[in-house]
Amino acid sequence: MLPNNEVRLPPPRAARAAQSAAVPCDITTQFTEAASKLKTGQLVKDELFTLFEAVGALEIMDSKMDSGYIAPGENHVQALEDDYDVRQPLTPKQVVGLMDQLLCHEMAWHMGHPLSQTLFTSIYLDKLLWPVPKTMEDARFDRVPSESPLISLVLRAYCLALVKACDFVHARIVTEYYYEEEDFVSQLYNRNLLSGLDPSHFFRLLDQAVEWVDSQETMDQDLRDALRCRLLLRHEFLSALDEDLEVLDTRSTDNFVSCLSTLSGITETVAHGTPVPEAFSLKIQRRLASTVPPRPIVHISPEDALAHLKRLCQDAIDMQQMLDYKGPSNFKTAIWSLLSRKPQPSVYIRCLLQALIVSDMTILGAVPVKQFLYDDLAELVLPSSVLLQANTDEVELPSDPRFQIAQKMEGFVKRFSQPFVDTVRAACLNRCRIRRTVCHTVVDWDNLQMEAEELDLDLQRLSDEPPLQMKGGETTFSFPLSSWAYNQKLIQIRRIIQMGFELSIYAPEELAGMYWYLSYICSTHLGHLDRIRTFTVAARKRDLISAGDRSADSQKSAAFHRSFRTLERVTTQLIAVDAFAIALHALYVLLTRHEVLPCAAGADAYSTDRLRYELRMKPFIPISLPELVPFEEFQRESALEGDSDAIILERASKAITEARKAWDVLLSQGAFLEEAGSGSGSGSAGGKEFPSAIEEDWKRDVKDAMRACIGASISIETVRKALGNNPSPSAQQPLNLEVTIPEIGSKSRWHEWWVVPQVSEKKNQ
Amino acid sequence: MNQNPPVLRYVRYDSARENEYVAAMRQLISKDLSEPYSIYVYRYFLYQWGDLCFLAMDEKDEMVGVVVSKLEPHRGGALRGYIAMLAVREEFRGQGIATKLVRMAIDAMIERDADEIVLETEITNTGAMKLYERLGFLRSKRLHRYYLNGNSAYRLVLYLKEGVSAIRTAFDPFAPPHPTHMEAPTVPVGNTPGNGVI
Repeated sequence: MLPNNEVRLPPPRAARAAQSAAVPCDITTQFTEAASKLKTGQLVKDELFTLFEAVGALEIMDSKMDSGYIAPGENHVQALEDDYDVRQPLTPKQVVGLMDQLLCHEMAWHMGHPLSQTLFTSIYLDKLLWPVPKTMEDARFDRVPSESPLISLVLRAYCLALVKACDFVHARIVTEYYYEEEDFVSQLYNRNLLSGLDPSHFFRLLDQAVEWVDSQETMDQDLRDALRCRLLLRHEFLSALDEDLEVLDTRSTDNFVSCLSTLSGITETVAHGTPVPEAFSLKIQRRLASTVPPRPIVHISPEDALAHLKRLCQDAIDMQQMLDYKGPSNFKTAIWSLLSRKPQPSVYIRCLLQALIVSDMTILGAVPVKQFLYDDLAELVLPSSVLLQANTDEVELPSDPRFQIAQKMEGFVKRFSQPFVDTVRAACLNRCRIRRTVCHTVVDWDNLQMEAEELDLDLQRLSDEPPLQMKGGETTFSFPLSSWAYNQKLIQIRRIIQMGFELSIYAPEELAGMYWYLSYICSTHLGHLDRIRTFTVAARKRDLISAGDRSADSQKSAAFHRSFRTLERVTTQLIAVDAFAIALHALYVLLTRHEVLPCAAGADAYSTDRLRYELRMKPFIPISLPELVPFEEFQRESALEGDSDAIILERASKAITEARKAWDVLLSQGAFLEEAGSGSGSGSAGGKEFPSAIEEDWKRDVKDAMRACIGASISIETVRKALGNNPSPSAQQPLNLEVTIPEIGSKSRWHEWWVVPQVSEKKNQ
Repeated sequence: MNQNPPVLRYVRYDSARENEYVAAMRQLISKDLSEPYSIYVYRYFLYQWGDLCFLAMDEKDEMVGVVVSKLEPHRGGALRGYIAMLAVREEFRGQGIATKLVRMAIDAMIERDADEIVLETEITNTGAMKLYERLGFLRSKRLHRYYLNGNSAYRLVLYLKEGVSAIRTAFDPFAPPHPTHMEAPTVPVGNTPGNGVI
């Protein structure tokens, strides 16, 4: 269905320019004359009237679209104003109930619903925020405050601290990359979230409120506790949000930890509250500055709201474990693992993390982007290389090759820093957007690789690189920068395919082909890593021959060691993915061949296999390397044409056994690459702890993949058995198998990226 | 199962009967939407592509199904069909009416030399997804919280000719500067949850 929402449509092209020189003239006569030629009701469409405008249009006097519409007979005052009295006395139970309702609305807003359907339906908040208060004293429910401190102090302090918390959240999100309406609705409807008021006022007010609650000896103890922990939550949450990027300096998790501890108190006392539904009203929407139709109040349960907040706090706490920079691959692993948590960390966390990853061209507030880029190059392709050491400060003679190398490398840094950081930062987008973004950036990286190749040629000459003789006899050079760029691109291609599985993009009949393609990309990547390794080994040999200075050599040796370790880890990972993909590919080929796999497309579908292949390969068509597999080849290879069932079964079994071994090795290597000389055993490197909570995420992910491997083994064995019972299945005598594709979230879908078919014997036959 | 399936007539939209048809299709489509499309949305499609709109009418000449679509070059490139709305009255569902209507729209687009056809459908609308996938559409991407009820959508695409993916879109001097993918979008202009209606 068409979205009824302009944001989702391509915006109209800017109105044709050249209007600046227009001279106004009276066209009344012409207009009247032209209009007289039209029949009543005849439609005339302006050329510039787009779908965007059509969808954005509202019909005035239609109650479903016009938020200002007042029905015939409806009283004007009643239609706009609520007769809820914010000074009316409330019981402590009601105040607890109100606080929890507000928290639900706050979390619904965090989840992406607009304020107009959540917090801004609260009459209390409306009174606080309109007219816009300039001082703390202005921000009150009524000019004459309620005589009950339960309202004028306790509820007010809660509400004000809540609004201020929203202010911090809003400020952080809107300064980062996020998608309006997908991730978050930033609209404030001309209200101000008390951004001009210093947080200290709020803390003071909360302290007073807590003090008052503590002194109410006649109040039921449970209710006093309930009020108290809610006020404390506001205090701690506000402190935590106030800290924002300062966490890079404070390195404190105290505030979020305190939040978590108050949350358990709140969870236990939700039942003590009595909701006050009449304190929320849709009529407020009519007064908010907006052009959207009236929309219903969003209701989420206290359980969901508390769970969301709890996750937010936990993610924030765990995030702080990765603030120490321990090299590029560890950094990237930590970010990807944290952001791949299910459910995905909230938009606030994702935005905060974006800012921590890079602000002012500095990683984690400590490492210049150039350093990060160089570290990555050193880890993968250029351990201890003159290319990364040259700088124009030490060598000032322009004719010196080292000066020219430094200049070339400066150009490289300028060009590649941003796209490189973006590859890391893209993980902060919502999952759908990650895939869509990578589909775009992979094309950019194709171009970047070509640019890097040009630089490589220059650097080859300047550094006087000796060529290597390859097995075939031809000589070749290392091309480090373009090799590095190609590695980036191959990672992205793999990610596009894998996130396709995660987002349930592929139809069942495509799975054989997609796992074939995944394995094709993995083997291409493995070949590329071999090439890189060959050159690194050669560089190390040269290095050892010409070794002189011993102290410099220990540094060099460490750099090479780290690079070899990195290559080894990436290789292990690729072997694991490759083997599993080969096994699933073979399994799906058998299921397809014997027509037991469910199929989304009907027999009389419009498309052909060739057209569907073209569509599926669309993101890769503009890419020059690796070259697109021609359709005929894809069809032949992905269907394992010419291979007997027995051969394919053998292939599946062997591959899944190898996959299980490889995933085991990967698990034993751990999530993070340790510094050389820090000894074995996980936990510390260079005296600093590795992020253990994030390491747990990483391990869980690997273990889930291993579970999927076991599931695949079982499915393969079931197929083997069925083929044993019926060695030449036919249309008359099909394989006695039932196959289902487990959906994301179902128990038998052990891992998002591994779609293991559930194969079972058909019961009644 | 209906013992006597009603005899339906499938007709192309006729602008001479605009008043009667548009009112009926609005009612049919709005029924499943929390927020209706404005009249301009219907006019936008019907005025320009009325011949790509098909209706299913029962014996009493009442509308029981409708498909609304358009066909135009996508950013100056491929000739792209778009199925905007599809609805069948609840008690008539499950009889292949929607499939028939969509086929008529696709056939009309093919006749007019369409290169590809695209549409979006809510991920929870399994009926619609199955229908389009049976016809050969593939999911090309998932759109996060596409509809304002918070539900995500899939973009479904059907290529009708070879080489569509290679057709270059024209240079657009008004397009946002490249690269756009990491840029934060601008002003919020909210609107609606549109439900798939099959």
